[in-house]
Amino acid sequence: MAVGPRVLEVAGLPGPGRRARLREWWEQEHIFGYGLILPAVVLLITLVAFPFGMAIYFSLSDYWVGSPGAFVGMTNYRDILANETFRQTLQNSFVFTGIALTLKIVLGVWLAMLLSRSLPFKRIIRGIVLLPFVIPTALSTLAWLWMFDSLYSVVNWTAIRAHLINAPGPNWLGQAEYAMAAVIAVNVWRGLPFFAITVLAGLMAVPKEFHEAAEVDGASSWRRFWHVTLPLIKPVLGVVILFSTIFTFGDFNIVQVLTRGGPINTTHLFATLAYQVGLQGGNLGQGAAISLFIFPLLAMVVFFQLRYVRKE
Amino acid sequence: MDQTAPRSIPRRRFLRTAAGATAGMASWLALRKAPAYAQKRELTFLSWNHFVPAADDELRKQAETFGKANNCTVRVDTMAHLQMPTKIAAEAQSQSGHDMYRTASADPFLYENLLVTMDDLVAKLGKQGGGWYNFAAESCQTKSGWKAIPWFWVSFPGTYNMAHFKKAGFDGPPKTWDDLLKMGKVLKKQGNPVGIPISHCSDAHSTYWSVAWSFGGKVIEADGKTPAIVSDKTAQVIEWYKELYKDAMEPEVLSWDDAGNNRFILSGKGSWIHNPISPYNAALANKQPIADDLNHHNSPGGPAGIHSAPPNLSLGIWKFSKNQELAKEFIAYLFQKQNFDAWIVASNAFNHPPLKNLADHPIWARNPKFAMLPKEADYAHPRGWPAKPNEAVQRIDDNYIMADMIAKAVNGMPTKRAMDWAQEQVALAVKGQLKVG
Amino acid sequence: MATARSRGARIRSNIFAYANLAPYIFFVLFPFYFMIVTSFKSNAELYNLKSIPFWIQSGAIIDHYALLFQKTDFVTWMKNSLLVAVVATTVSLVISILAGYSLARLRFRGAAAFGTAIFVTYLIPTTLLFLPLSQVVVWLGLADSIYALMVVYPTFLVPFCTWLLMGYFRTIPREVEECALVDGATRIQTLSRIVLPMAIPGVVCAVLFSFTLCWNEFTYALTFISQSANKTAVVGVTSDLIRGDIYFWGSLMAGALLASIPIVIVYVLFLDYYVSGLTAGAVKG
Repeated sequence: MAVGPRVLEVAGLPGPGRRARLREWWEQEHIFGYGLILPAVVLLITLVAFPFGMAIYFSLSDYWVGSPGAFVGMTNYRDILANETFRQTLQNSFVFTGIALTLKIVLGVWLAMLLSRSLPFKRIIRGIVLLPFVIPTALSTLAWLWMFDSLYSVVNWTAIRAHLINAPGPNWLGQAEYAMAAVIAVNVWRGLPFFAITVLAGLMAVPKEFHEAAEVDGASSWRRFWHVTLPLIKPVLGVVILFSTIFTFGDFNIVQVLTRGGPINTTHLFATLAYQVGLQGGNLGQGAAISLFIFPLLAMVVFFQLRYVRKE
Repeated sequence: MDQTAPRSIPRRRFLRTAAGATAGMASWLALRKAPAYAQKRELTFLSWNHFVPAADDELRKQAETFGKANNCTVRVDTMAHLQMPTKIAAEAQSQSGHDMYRTASADPFLYENLLVTMDDLVAKLGKQGGGWYNFAAESCQTKSGWKAIPWFWVSFPGTYNMAHFKKAGFDGPPKTWDDLLKMGKVLKKQGNPVGIPISHCSDAHSTYWSVAWSFGGKVIEADGKTPAIVSDKTAQVIEWYKELYKDAMEPEVLSWDDAGNNRFILSGKGSWIHNPISPYNAALANKQPIADDLNHHNSPGGPAGIHSAPPNLSLGIWKFSKNQELAKEFIAYLFQKQNFDAWIVASNAFNHPPLKNLADHPIWARNPKFAMLPKEADYAHPRGWPAKPNEAVQRIDDNYIMADMIAKAVNGMPTKRAMDWAQEQVALAVKGQLKVG
Repeated sequence: MATARSRGARIRSNIFAYANLAPYIFFVLFPFYFMIVTSFKSNAELYNLKSIPFWIQSGAIIDHYALLFQKTDFVTWMKNSLLVAVVATTVSLVISILAGYSLARLRFRGAAAFGTAIFVTYLIPTTLLFLPLSQVVVWLGLADSIYALMVVYPTFLVPFCTWLLMGYFRTIPREVEECALVDGATRIQTLSRIVLPMAIPGVVCAVLFSFTLCWNEFTYALTFISQSANKTAVVGVTSDLIRGDIYFWGSLMAGALLASIPIVIVYVLFLDYYVSGLTAGAVKG
């Protein structure tokens, strides 16, 4: 290590002075460590922790755009729970997240299994598969908006020509269940690559010997999958499901562009309802209460996920 | 240890970042506080993204010409109309922003104390333009004077498909709402139902106000505070809607947005809608053959006459503006006949003038499909009439109370209960306690 | 110990895989194909119920693109997006490199707690914060300007990049750093001259992800910015080409395509980094 100032003093040599002492101080591991994370901490405190606190404060007060109001306690929460639009939103969120996640998990794992084979053109295929995830969601959703148009829908056009449905075909974005199906379809289209590629990575990390040992043991491919592959990719799957649950619950882009929560509030999610109430309606207090509703749900999900994954 | 390459990277990176940050800060500061002596006067005007983009081009052109002639610059900023209320509220709260802006609905009343009084300009332009229509005063004249100048209004006629009507044996469009009901039943049987949105969109309310007033119904009393929904007139209106929905329309009207009725009539399926002239113009622009079959007619009337609630937009100047006189001059410039005419033409007849003399434009007079449109100014009212537009009226509109009332009724709720529910909501709106959704 | 598989079996297996992948590839690519076709179709054909949606029958036109460039602020939107993405990415990377190194390598009290806190921050969805942030932005005097985005985007970029870079920094052997320290290098020098160059793949990955996330961001851009000329590409295309009841479909598709192209180009050039970035968290972290 470098020779310290004390040693120099004792030896009678001139001391290094304040600048050098400052540098010494800075070089200490923990000072340097704190110093380096300081910008990040400052950023996150001022622009995440503080607004989070503000959100809680808004939700507990009668805060409107342009006129901060008084503290009202749990009134906003009581009001939104009593409101049927919000209850509908609650239901929508669970239906949306539940179905979309299930589809993404099942299809994602299956896709990952397919991609894990040594195929020619693997790189290109993987590239294509990831595309929906990388393109701006709001823009690709516009394509879907046009594909689901009540008059000119190419989906309907094709289905009618294929004799799957009768003309004129459902008004995808204008009828309750169809709108939810459409929104889920777009969410799956967009989120599946994330699942597939991440699970694929998990699969690749599994040593070949495991698969081959099972094969030699004569297990059928289904049992091989269920008892060998699946347990090995559980950690990866756990992480992916965690992220996906959070992003799906908090989804805004897809619903906002496709249906804005309609028809008749049947596709509203927390985020879109909060936007409508808080920004378009100006009622920031209720809007914040709606947004914050996600948080306990997410905290529970995170908690269970981390426990479950850590156990493995 | 490699001395050269690694040393240059971090320093370069640091310098680049620092330079970038400094430049960013400097430009930010510069943009926000330009020294006054270095700038020409700048008039800032916040307007909407006009539905017909060419109209905005014309507006900007006129702004530029005015600027050159008056040694100033006029900056026209535009934004989507749905986002405007939030932006205006933000400007009002922070007391900074644009000098003038396009007001809508109840703004002159909502921001009465924050807007400049325009009585002198209003009188001058009124004299020069042959007088203002009644609804203009109703929309902009507050207790303390005119707080905005009416700028233009958008006609809201009935649009109908002549071919379908002929096939059903009718030689003309409906003149009353009851006519519409009768004709609608026949048309629906023919496969060409009519369409009025009963959903959360602006069109739904525009039609509701029109129908309600035609039957003599009200939503709020003239004092602006007392709910006036519960009445036998409103009951008639609800019954009318119920019958129309059952026998002359299809369930899809419950989920329409503002573009729903456009799609409906342009597809060839619909036979009648209540809407501005955008579907017809779109069909013309897109060279669709259905344009030949479409025509317009004045809004149907009822026992209490013909009434309609067309969107009407005005120009307001904030009191915090430092360019109030300049703004007034600019507005006067926009209202000069040749300028306003050019703007009407650019908008494809979409913009209607609030001044009587300017309404005589050949773009309407010479086109049989448009000739009847200007007449609407005679029977137009701002929303909330007979009450003056105010916060309660704004909230009623923003929360789609009447649309919800009708939706509940057509979905089975007894008329009386639906009316009571709406009455309650209006009372809450007056108190400022309207629930979400 | 590889099991010998006959060539025939492998070909069959490949065909099986391709057959199962084909519908999915079609599902992925179709919207893009459709966007392209729609953006070049004339309005007459586009709105004609009898025409075939899958291709252009009456000649391709570029009018939609012309409208996009001439009658909207599209070029300005693209410039805004680029500016915001570059600035926010730069700022975030600097902060994340410092934080990531600190958390990965240095021992000090609370390091693990900070690490977890940063991870948890990433989990807070933007849609929970956008309402209060809309007010913070007004208080900072940044309302309705792209500077608001430059200031706010690092809040979700920094946690992710820090986490990503932590993983990469950890893979660098401690001995290398310790050698440098013994040789008299300061910690900053060690970081910048030794560690950072070895973590370039991670940095590239972080830059790519940050740029992509900034470009694609919708919620904050929609909430904080209202005037057309201040919008970013994604928000501008989705909001200004739908005017009331008039949808400019051809231009909507053209705009959606053009605004996606920068990301596609970056993506194609750096595909491997994207894949490694996505998997980093799951496998390394």
